[in-house]
Amino acid sequence: MQIDETTPNAARSAASGDDRTLGALLAARGVSRRAFLKYSSYLASLLALPASMAPAMAASLAKAQRQSVIWLSFQECTGCTESLTRSLSPTLDDLIFDFISLDYHHTLQAASGHAAEEARMQAMEAHKGKYIVAVDGSVPVKDGGIYSTIAGMSNLDILEETTKDAFAVVAIGSCAAFGGLPLADPNPTGAVPVTELVTDKPVINIPGCPPIPEAMAAVLAHVLTFGILPELDSLGRPKSFYGESVHDRCYRRPFYDRGEFAESFDDEGAKKGWCLYKLGCKGPATSNACATVKWNGGTSFPIEAGHPCLGCSEPGFWDMGGFYRALSVPTGDVARIAAVAAGAGVVAGAAAGALHRATKSAARGKHHTVTVEELEEK
Amino acid sequence: MSRFARPHWVEKMSSGMAKPLIGEISAALDTLAATGVAGAIDLSGLPLTATDRAELEVALGSGEVEAKVTAAGTSEIRETGFAGVWWVRHFDAGGRVLAEILEIAFVPQLLGAQGDDIDAAARRLRTELARTPERETGRETVHAD
Ligand code: SF4
Repeated sequence: MQIDETTPNAARSAASGDDRTLGALLAARGVSRRAFLKYSSYLASLLALPASMAPAMAASLAKAQRQSVIWLSFQECTGCTESLTRSLSPTLDDLIFDFISLDYHHTLQAASGHAAEEARMQAMEAHKGKYIVAVDGSVPVKDGGIYSTIAGMSNLDILEETTKDAFAVVAIGSCAAFGGLPLADPNPTGAVPVTELVTDKPVINIPGCPPIPEAMAAVLAHVLTFGILPELDSLGRPKSFYGESVHDRCYRRPFYDRGEFAESFDDEGAKKGWCLYKLGCKGPATSNACATVKWNGGTSFPIEAGHPCLGCSEPGFWDMGGFYRALSVPTGDVARIAAVAAGAGVVAGAAAGALHRATKSAARGKHHTVTVEELEEK
Repeated sequence: MSRFARPHWVEKMSSGMAKPLIGEISAALDTLAATGVAGAIDLSGLPLTATDRAELEVALGSGEVEAKVTAAGTSEIRETGFAGVWWVRHFDAGGRVLAEILEIAFVPQLLGAQGDDIDAAARRLRTELARTPERETGRETVHAD
């Protein structure tokens, strides 16, 4: 194999026989084992693993080799890449970029044209059965997939070719995980999520518009450390990040429980930081870690900035009947239990969230929107 | 310090979480004393209010050791008033707490030098020693001038 500046890292390592461990590679750059241990403590915390596992994780990480990642971008806006590359703080979080070898990524790679496609093929060959394919964007399948092509190939063909020998596929962002904006009604390109197309490999969904960068990094680090995928929920999302709703962990939750709601964006309630439910907050029906991990290096999250949660990490969030309308719920028992939950605190509130989730697809079909007053009357 | 920001009036509330946490620490300390097996409790995953945290800090008090570790950002390690119970905080470059752990151990993991780092250090020192005579010769030459 001829190696030049366009040869991707992994293929370069394989070709040059550089099979050094992460520990050896990073030690050469002055990264100590203590840093590995610290990273592992942080990782264990993010992944909700016992803190006592950190030393074993550090040892395993140091022995691992760089993980080859091939990143495919389809019908997307590049916000997911922006999220991953810009939001991590330049010390501990960004160690993930030392742990992985990003062998193909349209936006970030220096190579272009034939050299870029060659890089993808080389990485696939050098790491057969071991590489991870990260996908952002949905895949258009209407009219033979002509609505999005790269290097003359449809997204569908590239996905099929690239995932063939992959270890796992990570669907990054709501478009890849659930179809996102391209799939929104009337879905002119026939967009479908990655999970509907890749059925012979494990697919991890990391939804969000964009997803929380720590979630993307932690999933990759989990694979590197343990060699297996993290525990996933029924929608293929890592439980450690999507195991609870935004509402379960929202700091405005005490106001919700006391029935104190902002009615408009500049009323007294809004100024006092009351619950944003009536302004359309989708927090009760949205599984994500925004309220705990937060955004922009832990600065805040939308609700903290006074804006209701849009529910961007849930399937079909664009077609939920209006961002600023109170959650759509069907009538009957759900309304009654949600009203009881509103007065009964965390556990009952979580039940209401589950009910919102369980019934919202039906509500979406009907586009029946109720206010909190209506909900409590029923 | 918690990742769970809350309104001020909530921060002033005590959820009573300090007490069960102290129970957990006590059990881990018993295990350490009896078997030498270390334990750890991740505080960053718990929705502690500022008051809960203050209650925990008051209950645990402060001990004889305070240390700062600089590896991929800074970490602060404080011994509490109970020997073997350590409060460990990892910060990022901007001073944000990334992880906060109570370690129940003879020495916190991060404080001890790591085996591979020691191997590398030993190699480096041997190389340095091997170079020393040349350096001394150089210095003598400077003196002579
Ligand atoms: S409805 Fe929204 S603002 Fe209100 S407590 Fe739930 S997540 Fe927070």
